[in-house]
Amino acid sequence: MSGPWVEKYRPQSLDDIVGQENIINRLKKYVGEESMPNLMFTGPAGVGKTTTALALVKSILGEYWRQNFLELNASDARGIDTVRNDIKNFCRLKPVGAPFRIIFLDEVDNMTKDAQHALRREMEMYTKTASFILSCNYSSKIIDPIQSRCAIFRFAPLKGEEVINRLKFICDEENFDYDDKGIETIVYYAEGDMRKAVNILQATASEGEHITEDSVYEVVSKSKPQDIAEIVTKALTGDFMASRTLLRETMVLQGTSGEDMVAQIYQEVSRRVIDGKMDPEFYITIIDAIADCDFRIREGANPRIQLEALLTKFL
Amino acid sequence: MLWTDKYRPKNLKEILGNNKEKKIIQAWVDNWKAGNPQNPILLVGPPGIGKTTFAQAIANEFSEHIELNASDKRSQDVIKSTIGESSSSRSLFGDDYKLIIMDEVDGIHGTNDRGGVRAIGEIIKTSKHPLILIANDFYSKRLQSIKPKCQVIKMAKIRTPTINKMLKDIAKKEGIEYDKEALKLLAKKSNGDIRSAINTFQAIADTAHELTMEDVENITTKDDRSTIIDGVMATLKSKNPKHVKDALRVDEEPRLVMEYIAENVAREYENKNELKKAYENLSKADLYFGRTQRTRHYGYWKYASDYMGIGVSSSKKETYKKFSPIRSPTIFTLMGRNRGKRNLRDGIAEKMSEKLHISHSVAISMFPYLEIMFQNDELAWEISDYLNFDKDEIKRFRKRVIPKKVIKKMEKQKEEMRIEERDRRAEELQNQMFMQIPQEPEEEIEKEPCEEVEELIEEQIEEVEEKKKKDVQTSLFSF
Repeated sequence: MSGPWVEKYRPQSLDDIVGQENIINRLKKYVGEESMPNLMFTGPAGVGKTTTALALVKSILGEYWRQNFLELNASDARGIDTVRNDIKNFCRLKPVGAPFRIIFLDEVDNMTKDAQHALRREMEMYTKTASFILSCNYSSKIIDPIQSRCAIFRFAPLKGEEVINRLKFICDEENFDYDDKGIETIVYYAEGDMRKAVNILQATASEGEHITEDSVYEVVSKSKPQDIAEIVTKALTGDFMASRTLLRETMVLQGTSGEDMVAQIYQEVSRRVIDGKMDPEFYITIIDAIADCDFRIREGANPRIQLEALLTKFL
Repeated sequence: MLWTDKYRPKNLKEILGNNKEKKIIQAWVDNWKAGNPQNPILLVGPPGIGKTTFAQAIANEFSEHIELNASDKRSQDVIKSTIGESSSSRSLFGDDYKLIIMDEVDGIHGTNDRGGVRAIGEIIKTSKHPLILIANDFYSKRLQSIKPKCQVIKMAKIRTPTINKMLKDIAKKEGIEYDKEALKLLAKKSNGDIRSAINTFQAIADTAHELTMEDVENITTKDDRSTIIDGVMATLKSKNPKHVKDALRVDEEPRLVMEYIAENVAREYENKNELKKAYENLSKADLYFGRTQRTRHYGYWKYASDYMGIGVSSSKKETYKKFSPIRSPTIFTLMGRNRGKRNLRDGIAEKMSEKLHISHSVAISMFPYLEIMFQNDELAWEISDYLNFDKDEIKRFRKRVIPKKVIKKMEKQKEEMRIEERDRRAEELQNQMFMQIPQEPEEEIEKEPCEEVEELIEEQIEEVEEKKKKDVQTSLFSF
């Protein structure tokens, strides 16, 4: 009765966390102390940054962790002003039943440079009452002044073995049959991302079959966006208008971000060249364009215009 | 003396152009003179095209006239006292009509002119004299009640050759040497506004007595910005850089102009390589818009504007000989049409992000898995219950409703689990209490009580004593 497995099987204590032993051991030293430095967790998606932060918060703040804890997602909180207001209101109050308060700010690399500078000021202002835990995918996107104010913890992608053991553990808990090949297939597609692995596992399990290579493959191909393949095909056959319309619909309706679109288009064409369905020389010219598009989008260009320009390269 | 006054046509015949309008007005004047009262005339059109001139030319056909314009205070009283009387009563001597001209009628506004529009309405109703109203904006709210009672004459901008001819006449009379092309350009730049053309001409040539190309090129005529459609049209249809650059000087957000060009270039350019080149330039324009925004260095804008203008226009080998209407970007209509779906999506993402500690974008990336999971009735209920989804949100992931049987079963199961959990908690709590309260038999066995227990006892004694004190106090007060 606890909904998605990603939440049901989220490790609750530092000891239960999969992998990242060095980080966990270092973090344990903060438990029971009167203060904690600001922390920054960096690493790819689904390796346990949020889980570690939540577990750490619970063991430091104890019974009253909810009252002394503020969780914000920097990419959703609209604008730096909301972030600052929330932080300000939270820090105004003294910690209750705990040595200090903790603010967890997720996806900080999605904040603009201006917003990060503002954040840095907030971090300085409330050092007495609160500690920050920041998390991000790329620490290079974080301004130096913030980095230098934090103890940085680099989370490594999870090892295949670690993901396999966790998935098997979940299957045992749920009394679900699996074969090793099926689990390995999930791990292959998850690319070290535990969230993705658990999602694939639950989706496969929901179909009521054993976890086998075939059933996993079926789920993976079902959950893969079909639109991308069609967008690429239409552009390749010269129907730019149809391709562009589909691209726009995908971005508006599914809300796929520019970065994700680029990643998916890349996966699509690289699959085609590996399957021998695209000329390698042409593939490289496309890669040129994709890489450029990727760079520009991350630099702050309008993703849709850039992607539309990318589609013309397929013509 | 202002040339605009000096060379203003004195009667209808002298007026250039507007032949159709002239005929209508002549008939109107003739009818009045023949003793047939007519509806008032409402002259509407952009500034500087000769509306006032028209009115004054008409005035010359009548023996007397009164003029009111925007500079007059137009409260009800003023209008009534100046023309109210003269409008309803006729002269004792003969059948002479007084022409009433009211300029800039759509300029009546606000508290100063309270009741002004109503007063005009009354004058129109009661007037026995010919009345001419002049206004700029045909769609002005203030004209709404007036329009139906009038004969409306819409006047267009003056054509460039007409202005050119007028300027030539003036040049001849003033003895000014002029470059023919310069005069043509001046006429063109005035954009149909003959008054501004004459004013500019006088400003340049009144003392110098000559007009050169350089003179005209240096002046920036009043607001000559083109529309977004003109700009896009020029970019797609022209290959002349100057023409494109001028046409793109539009009063719009530059990124919107870029969206328009992007939308329409794919419809205009048929050759793949041209389209590729054009889009390459558009993407670079976009890149510099982004850099402008990020760095606040507006100097980058000029590059963006050249990429999307001259860049796109020069991407074609030849101009296409076809007519394709300029369309507004479909992305906006797409976004408008799908607002409901997007709101649904964001609502779901919000609920997920709270419960699952993830951002909206990660939540949305989980949708495909949820779609698969929701095909399982029980799991669909379980997840919806956990994330607090409503009916529409469930529908996003599965077409069929969850069968009632399943819902009942799951709700029962949940209730059972809740009770189980409650009992477990109660038991836990009980155990905790037993742990804290030292049990007497154990105490007896251990002859020497440990320090903790001693402390505990001490605390208890203190508590009791405190209680006693409190009791005393309360009893005092309650007494």
